[in-house]
Amino acid sequence: MAAIGQVKIRVPSGIKGGDIVRVRALVIHPMEIVERKDGKPVDKNYHFINRVIVTYLGKEIAQFDTSQSISENPFFAFAVKATDPGELKVIFLDTHGGRYEGTADIKLG
Amino acid sequence: MIKGRRRRAAGVWRLGALALLVACARNEVPTAPPSSPPAPRISRAVPEARGDIETLPDRKRRAVRYKGWPTEDFGAFRTYAYDDRRPEPRPASAPMPATPGDPAKGRQMFLSRNVGPCTGCHLVRGDDVWPAGNVGPDLSTYGDRNLPDEYTFNLIYDPRHVFPRTLMPPWGTDGVLTPADIADVVAFLKTQKGPVPPEKDAERNPATRPRPTGFGDNLDPTNNPAVVRAESAEALWNQKGPAGRACADCHAGGPAAAMKGVATRYPRHVARYGRVVGIEDVLSVHGPGTTGRPLPLESAENLDLAVAIKMASNGMPVALDLKSPENAAALRRGRDSFYRRVGQRNHACADCHTKVDGKGADKFLGGRLLADVETGLTRHFPTWRTSQGDVWDMRKRMQWCMTPLGANMLAADAVEYAELELYLASFDVGKPIDAPGIRH
Repeated sequence: MAAIGQVKIRVPSGIKGGDIVRVRALVIHPMEIVERKDGKPVDKNYHFINRVIVTYLGKEIAQFDTSQSISENPFFAFAVKATDPGELKVIFLDTHGGRYEGTADIKLG
Repeated sequence: MIKGRRRRAAGVWRLGALALLVACARNEVPTAPPSSPPAPRISRAVPEARGDIETLPDRKRRAVRYKGWPTEDFGAFRTYAYDDRRPEPRPASAPMPATPGDPAKGRQMFLSRNVGPCTGCHLVRGDDVWPAGNVGPDLSTYGDRNLPDEYTFNLIYDPRHVFPRTLMPPWGTDGVLTPADIADVVAFLKTQKGPVPPEKDAERNPATRPRPTGFGDNLDPTNNPAVVRAESAEALWNQKGPAGRACADCHAGGPAAAMKGVATRYPRHVARYGRVVGIEDVLSVHGPGTTGRPLPLESAENLDLAVAIKMASNGMPVALDLKSPENAAALRRGRDSFYRRVGQRNHACADCHTKVDGKGADKFLGGRLLADVETGLTRHFPTWRTSQGDVWDMRKRMQWCMTPLGANMLAADAVEYAELELYLASFDVGKPIDAPGIRH
C-alpha cells in the first residue's frame, strides 16, 4: 500500500460564495479490524482512525468519531458552506497516536 | 484431469525447451540473458488462482478458488483448455412425467437464485420478480399462447431441439433440472396470462429499467480506490528485490515514465516466452528473473504493478500487432474460444457479449447490463469492482465468468486466457486506454 497517512482532498471547482459544496477526503490507512480467537475478540490496541477533525478558515467546523467498521483507506465526504476563500484542513487521528492532515484551498470563482 | 493436463503440458514445455537448446547449439545463438527465463512450465499464479481441483478425505472433489468463491467441481463439463477435446454435449430428451406439475413449486424454481435463475433472462408476472433480465423473451403472457405441454417441456429440457443456435442452457441434458422440476415450471408458465397490469416500478421491467450511467471520475482516488494501488507500485518500483536489483535500476523514472505506451502493445506473442503474454504474465516471469521478487499472478504486488503500468498508457490508443504470424494464429484461437460453448450451461462468451443474431450484449442479465465486445472489454482493466470492493485484473474477471458458465476455471496465466484476452483486446485497437476503470 501507499505510504500510511497520505491525505488527498477533493473540492469541486467553480464555487460561488455561499455555495454548499461536497468535500471528499481520503486517507491511506490500514484500519485494522477485530481479530478473533476461539470466537472471542482479542483485546489489544487496534490501529484505526478514531477521530476526524475538519477546520475551515482556521476554525474547527466538524468532528467525527469513527470506528473499526470503516474500510481501509477510508474516504469521508461531507458538506461545507463555502463562505470565504481560504484553507480547509482535514485532520485524521488514530489509536496509535498518528496524526495525518491534508489541506485544500477553497477558491471562489 | 487437471493434474493430467498439467503433466502433459509440462512434457510439451520440456520438449520445446530441448528443441530450443538444440536450435541454439546449432546456430550458436547466445543463450537468453538471465533476465529472460523460459516460458513458465507450471502456473505462476497464487495457489487459489491456478484452477486446481483437490480431493477431500471423503473422496469428494472440490475446486480450489479464491476466498468466498463457489468451490463446486464442474469437471464433467467442457472447459476452455485447448487439450479438452470433449465435444459439445448432444441434445438429450426424456419422457414428460404423467402427473401434472405444481405451478407454485414451478414459480419458486423459476425465481430461485440457486437454480437458474430463469428470471436472469426472462420476465414473468409478479412484483417480487426482481431483478429480471431480457436476454430471453418476456414470458408474462406465455400461457395465452396455448402451446402443448410436451413442446414447452422439451424446450426447457433441451432448447436445441427447437432452436439449434439458442443461447438457453439445456436444463435437462446437463442435469440441472429433473423431469419433475421441468413439469413444475411448465405448469407455472401456463399460469402466465394477460392482460399484464401496468408496471408499478420501472426498475422491475428490463425494458423500462434505467441504464447504468457509470461511477464518475475513475482517476480520482477518493472515487476509485484502485488508483491508490498504482502509488503502492511506485514504492515497489524502487525497492531492491532479493537479487539485489530493483525495477528502477533498468526502468528509470518510475512506472509512469518508464512504462509509457507499453500496455498498448499487450497481450502479444513474445518469442522469448514462446507464447502470448499479457502484462500480468510478463511481471510473473520477468519480475523474479531480474529482481528475485516473486510476482505471481493475482498477488497484490502483481496487481499493483499491472495497474501502474496500464495507467502509464492512459489516453494512448491500443496498438496491438495483429499481423505477425504468431499473433494472427493466437487471435484465431482466441476467437475460437470466444465462440466455444463450455460448461454445464453450454454457453459461449459470444452468447452474452455480442449483439449478432439477437444475442445478449446490451441486454439485462438479471439486474446487470451485459457488456458488448465491440465497445471493448479490456481497456479499463485492471478495474475497481464496486460489487466486490476489490481490484480485479482481466484474468480474474475471466475466471469469475466461469462461475455462471458452470465450468472449471483455468490458471490465471493459462495461455487460453491470454489468447482470449488478445481477441477481446483486438476490438480495442485504436481506442484509448482508460485504467483503472470502475465497474459494478
